[in-house]
Amino acid sequence: MKRIKIDRNKCVGCLTCTTACIVAHDSLETRSRITVDSKGEYAPIFCRHCDKPECVYTCMTGAMSKDSKTGLVSYNKDRCASCYMCIMACPYGVLKMDARKQKEIMKCDMCSSTKDGTPQCVSKCPMAAITLQEVL
Amino acid sequence: MRYVVIGASAAGISGAKTLRELDKKAEIILISKDESVYSRCILHHYISGHRTVKELDFSQENFFKKNNIKWIKGVTVTSLNDEGKSISLSNGDFLTYDKLLISSGASAFIPPVENLRQASNVVGLRNLEDAIIIRKQASKVKNVVVLGAGLVGIDALSGLIDSGVNISLVEMSKKILPLQLDKYTSKVYEDKFKEKGVNLKLDVKAEKLIIDANKIPIALLLNTGEEVPCELVIVATGVRSNVDFLEKSGVQTDRFGLIINEKGETNIDSVYGAGDVTGRNPVWPTAIKEGIIAANNMTRNVMIMTDFFGSKNTMNFVGIATMSIGMTEPADETYIEEVKIDGRNYKKIIHKDGKLYGSIIQGDLSYAGVLTQLIRENIDVSRVTKPLFEIDYSDFFNEEENFEFSYK
Repeated sequence: MKRIKIDRNKCVGCLTCTTACIVAHDSLETRSRITVDSKGEYAPIFCRHCDKPECVYTCMTGAMSKDSKTGLVSYNKDRCASCYMCIMACPYGVLKMDARKQKEIMKCDMCSSTKDGTPQCVSKCPMAAITLQEVL
Repeated sequence: MRYVVIGASAAGISGAKTLRELDKKAEIILISKDESVYSRCILHHYISGHRTVKELDFSQENFFKKNNIKWIKGVTVTSLNDEGKSISLSNGDFLTYDKLLISSGASAFIPPVENLRQASNVVGLRNLEDAIIIRKQASKVKNVVVLGAGLVGIDALSGLIDSGVNISLVEMSKKILPLQLDKYTSKVYEDKFKEKGVNLKLDVKAEKLIIDANKIPIALLLNTGEEVPCELVIVATGVRSNVDFLEKSGVQTDRFGLIINEKGETNIDSVYGAGDVTGRNPVWPTAIKEGIIAANNMTRNVMIMTDFFGSKNTMNFVGIATMSIGMTEPADETYIEEVKIDGRNYKKIIHKDGKLYGSIIQGDLSYAGVLTQLIRENIDVSRVTKPLFEIDYSDFFNEEENFEFSYK
């Protein structure tokens, strides 16, 4: 499977990835983010599509699932009951609900639902701070 | 190799699915009392009419066919012969196994209040059948009592709240959701429920159910002498593990339920357990994980349960979201409680000596999962110099070789 490798040292906090995410999903909100740590350094926080996905284990409707072939952890909003257990379960605080209706979970799909089909945060990052890598 | 799995809820489905992933050839049989696969946690969406029975299914489409699992439904296991490695079923059949996974769950417990067990129209909210009765009766009766204001009681209440029926919520504690919430966050829900017409009876005990000649409820008598009218009673005062069928077997149970170790093994060889049947940490993610772990060890793939943290929950009632992790009030004066209130958003963190012990967040739950991890894993947060309420993953950032995250 592929994961987005993050090189914190290269990140300049320009938020091009955030914008790319919003645009790619034709959304009002981002599915990834950049935060700043106590030393003032940028930390790009992107869904890892974990091998042992806590969000999937905790989902009581089957809305979150891991594809054993692609490795993608996908979210199906039609099955979601907006119980927010996945938000609580993600150890890295990647997930949130949409701000307007509080119904849908803002979940990275590696842009599989978008016309480009490949992560637009990676494509648009001007610093190559995030890159797509094949992992076992 | 024949694996037999008992139960079609979180632990059973997760166990059977994992067994198939790990052993492509084995025969897998799943036996369940349930006639359909459904998520108990969302039964209130069926009561309210927001979901059909099909929409309660949490498993993947065509689960049994896709995974080549034989499903015997609508059947209970009546006894286990662990020496002969066989189980007897309520349909008269019996079945041998090489390895057995017990994930038979739990049942609603009806407390010994006078007439409560004898009356008709008294149901728990555990099974789809319960939800079907509640939905049907709600359109016929005028008054409903929900007994118990824990998560299941509030689920029941929220399923009925827009049905037009009069609802009384009867609870022993001084606040609703006493295990999950503090006074402030409880009151937010209490006020909202009152606004929607719910009759809140807190800090009271049920003494007796008054019934008519046909055993239909008339009113619930409280210890205060008050009679709360009801023709339907939903009992949400706790559950008991489904271990009755183990009585004559050598499988060990205790007052909570089935005893398993961190590999999901019982005291009997080839017999495993997972989920609510253990009576410990009865939350969805624990059941799923225990199913995975038991299945791994059943297929000789050693895996150990490490997550015994069960005091975590989120809820979304009457449009208000809340998350509760760990301690809800400081255990003593050595713990520090910090609260931040911003409009409808409430955030409380309980900490001591650089570690977090509990948190309640109401309103915006964005990115709150970090707190679960910090509390569960007892991670030192003293390096974080930004305000506690702004804590996130950045100060712990660490990328593994396969680019997964971990805590540094």
